[in-house]
Amino acid sequence: MTSTLLIASACTVLLALLVGAYCVAAIDGAITARVTGQTPGNPLLIPLQNAARLWHAPHNETETPDRPALRLAPVLYLVLAAMGLALVPWSRDFVPVDLTTGIVFWGAIEPLATVLVFLKGWAPNAHFPLLGAYRYVSLGLSYILVSMFVLIGVALPAESLQISAVVDTQAELWNVVRQPLGLPLFLVVGLGVSFWGPLNFIDADDLHGGAASEEAGRVQLLWSTGRAAMLLAFSAIAASAFLGGWHGPWLPGPVWLILKTLAVVVLLVILGHTLPRVSPERFLTIAWVILLPLSFLSLAGAGVEALL
Amino acid sequence: MSAVDITFYINAAIAIYAGWRVFVTDSMVRASFFLLISFLAVGVIMLLLAAVYLGVALFFMMAVEMMVMALFMVMFMMNPAGLNPMKMVHQEKVAIAAGVVAFAALSAVAVFGEFPSRTIPEGWQPVVSLGHELLGDSMLVFESAGVTLLATMIAVVMLTSHRGRYGDANHGSRPPGLEPGGDPADKPEETEEGGHHHHHHHH
Repeated sequence: MTSTLLIASACTVLLALLVGAYCVAAIDGAITARVTGQTPGNPLLIPLQNAARLWHAPHNETETPDRPALRLAPVLYLVLAAMGLALVPWSRDFVPVDLTTGIVFWGAIEPLATVLVFLKGWAPNAHFPLLGAYRYVSLGLSYILVSMFVLIGVALPAESLQISAVVDTQAELWNVVRQPLGLPLFLVVGLGVSFWGPLNFIDADDLHGGAASEEAGRVQLLWSTGRAAMLLAFSAIAASAFLGGWHGPWLPGPVWLILKTLAVVVLLVILGHTLPRVSPERFLTIAWVILLPLSFLSLAGAGVEALL
Repeated sequence: MSAVDITFYINAAIAIYAGWRVFVTDSMVRASFFLLISFLAVGVIMLLLAAVYLGVALFFMMAVEMMVMALFMVMFMMNPAGLNPMKMVHQEKVAIAAGVVAFAALSAVAVFGEFPSRTIPEGWQPVVSLGHELLGDSMLVFESAGVTLLATMIAVVMLTSHRGRYGDANHGSRPPGLEPGGDPADKPEETEEGGHHHHHHHH
């Protein structure tokens, strides 16, 4: 019985990861077409065509790279996304991995992902990727703190670090209403962890593409799949932590979870296309002077509410 | 041998191997991340010991810590990329001797020590009593030391950074000349008035 459940959980997570990463890519293509006003093709086919093109493209070899790190980093990044997705409760009874410290585990996935994205830029041993890597890390450290405070904020009303318990406390009132600052701050973290849009400091356009300037072929395919999967896992966690997870009327729990997750994905992709790209030093100031105090405020509010 | 035993042995082997690689690798960044791998394996062992929070906390603390360490070490080093080979060990003989002695002493305690095996009585709060047991009245001292260390770190960053409250740290400084008393190789001409004496050969 338990082994059947284990296999079912693993299959669900892997299937959700593959289908979800494809959905993220398709949504991104559709929104890109809408923002730019140009339709390069069928948005449902573009992700598959891109994947096929990258699969057959030749590998780019830089001078004396750190080969193990270069090859392992994208795979491990994808694994981290899968681990994050496994933490998400699909309904009251079906939680693939119901850790008692699920919130903290997600808090560990974010810095570990940052380490891997650093290796993406460090391992090729080339100029622009390295600049992107140091930029990404020095800015990543500033929003990971924000993420921690926001997540502690949602754990407070639940009096538990278990994600299923956090979802249970939102049956009456979603956390996005209870802690209005939480979700906007958390979305910034999502853009950063999956290096998306204005927070894509590793593949920065003003660095000639940063780490992406030395990437080609299957490594590039793995990274783009990985960041789509990470955006998906992040959205599922955000939907569970702030939008009530599987709670909702009429429809079954998993359907609500999928709808809310896709809503967060659409929101993040739109933000990625519409938010202006800030220069690194300005973003550092914004992160430490505005976002971090706001996350303190959010946490203090959650604490006061828990005491009342 | 159960699955737990196998997981323990695999992670123990990873922790020891990665810990050894820290000292034989030739790059700061690699050393930091081998240490991270070692800590992650120890974190898994903590999960096996049912210390779920400690294990998961070790994951995120070490991920952030090693990343900061790599970033800061490389920032303050001559070798900005961290990919160029460099020697990672100093005073090898002393270090080896100290390591062997410490390992033997700790192993002797582990193997020959008599450890009490008592179950925790009802109503005990293990975390609170562990805190009192570890620090007791010294909590104030430890906290003061922590704040002092933080202030020191900030001061070090302030002193070593190029940009400061009163302008650039190297403002007005002059690199040594190519020949004694001569002009430096790549010093741009300063147009500022007062204080600076330039020897211009061309007028």
